[in-house]
Amino acid sequence: MHQVEMMVNGQVRRAEVPAETTLLSVLRETWGLTGSKLGCDVGDCGACTVLVDGLSVNACLLLAVQVDGQEVLTIEGMGGFDYLHPIQAAFERLSSIQCGFCAPGIVISAKALIDKNPHPTEQEIREALAGNLCRCTGYTKIIEGIAEACRAPAITDGISVTESGHV
Amino acid sequence: MKHAGRGIACMWYPIGFTVAANPSSAVVKVNEDGTATLLTGTVEVGQGSLTVLGQIVAQELGISAEDVHVISADTDVTPMDTGAIASRTTFVTGNAVRLAAAEAKSILLEVAAEMLGVEVRELEAANHQIRVKTFPEKRISLADVAMGAQIARGRPPLGSASFNPPTVAMDPETGQGKPFAAYVYATQITDVEVDDETGEVEVLHVYAAHDSGTAINPALVEGQVEGGIAMGIGMALSEEILFNPEGRQINPNLTNYLIPTSLDMPPIDIDIIESYDPVGPFGAKGVGEPTLVPTAPAILNAIYDAVGVRITDLPATAEKILMAIRKKERSNVKGLEPGEGDT
Ligand code: FES
Ligand code: FES
Repeated sequence: MHQVEMMVNGQVRRAEVPAETTLLSVLRETWGLTGSKLGCDVGDCGACTVLVDGLSVNACLLLAVQVDGQEVLTIEGMGGFDYLHPIQAAFERLSSIQCGFCAPGIVISAKALIDKNPHPTEQEIREALAGNLCRCTGYTKIIEGIAEACRAPAITDGISVTESGHV
Repeated sequence: MKHAGRGIACMWYPIGFTVAANPSSAVVKVNEDGTATLLTGTVEVGQGSLTVLGQIVAQELGISAEDVHVISADTDVTPMDTGAIASRTTFVTGNAVRLAAAEAKSILLEVAAEMLGVEVRELEAANHQIRVKTFPEKRISLADVAMGAQIARGRPPLGSASFNPPTVAMDPETGQGKPFAAYVYATQITDVEVDDETGEVEVLHVYAAHDSGTAINPALVEGQVEGGIAMGIGMALSEEILFNPEGRQINPNLTNYLIPTSLDMPPIDIDIIESYDPVGPFGAKGVGEPTLVPTAPAILNAIYDAVGVRITDLPATAEKILMAIRKKERSNVKGLEPGEGDT
């Protein structure tokens, strides 16, 4: 068993896990953060996308021990009923999402893009989403939603905010 | 070398089951605060049908969609519904919902007529009120009417209704009949580029015109069309379940069952052709399965336009297209008429 400790959505979390435990499994099963989805468990679908120290990764491909001591942002840290991140607000306005299974990963991938590049072109948005499969929407309104979120004041002013205040 | 091509395909598609019964039922209750509750057995799977059903209730009662609470999918507490299949929810469930709301409304109108001292036929429900059509200043809030109906008159404003699409069985001798109550129509045009050295196809643009009756929620109609086109592109070019001789699927994961990614999806232009279906709720028909019907044929026609080969089994993978191009080139060398070497 291995001790792991990481800052998840601005909160310190600890767990004792077998070495082969993935980050996704510790998030979902140990800490109950089921927003990140398990679509394939082999890195194909992107439904498990989270940020680790600001970089988007597939949580199913990383071991929890590899993330020891690092900062993780999951969809739970992006917004909630009281506050929606501009990406989520735009998705809601444009009816971007259908079944929603891909959405936690897509929102995180979009945040990773916008943090680096607040004024992406449509092609840059498409490239940022290339690892996030969506069966329902054809990506059309998701791409429009990300483009619209980039025009939100919180993004254009360069303030990167989440509900927990965690960037 | 890359060749551009454009293809067109048109389709019609029926809504609901072929003659067979596929009823939906619904219960609508108008609450004493002027909101409404809808009980429906249908399920939401992301297509937005509960939003649309809530909008139908709201339209019938003259309230806003946010004021309709939809309780769905648990047939312990809701009426049975045939299901989110056959592109039928807006048309069939929507009609049941509309009729249930209309029944609740008729109670409210009768009560309001007594409260206002006018005839029922003079009244309409709009803007969270029951009001006199020709004199809208004479009005009473829906909440007050619902409260009065419940408390003072002992007539709770409830409605329940069922709808089964009217059809006529087909005559086995003549083939005549009307197996469906409504049909939708669509045309899609695709622009593609085909590389004659690799057989690879890139879909550059899709134009889609869909007649779904009244679009109760145009953004959701667009979402269905966009998603359907993505599935159609996958069906046309990459999606295929492969089996080994023992009948076991050999590509049961997303590494080798390939669905379109954001990079494979072209821009899509959608034209919602408004029409009014006399049977549908507020003129609506449906949009769901039919959205992907014309996509693959339009792409295959575009491939033919680009490189002159007809692919007749899906998916039109790069390998199949390249083999067809080679075969065509060989038969051209032998002096065959163009077309004879097509697959
Ligand atoms: S679950 Fe991690 S990529 Fe699919
Ligand atoms: S909305 Fe269903 S997978 Fe993306």
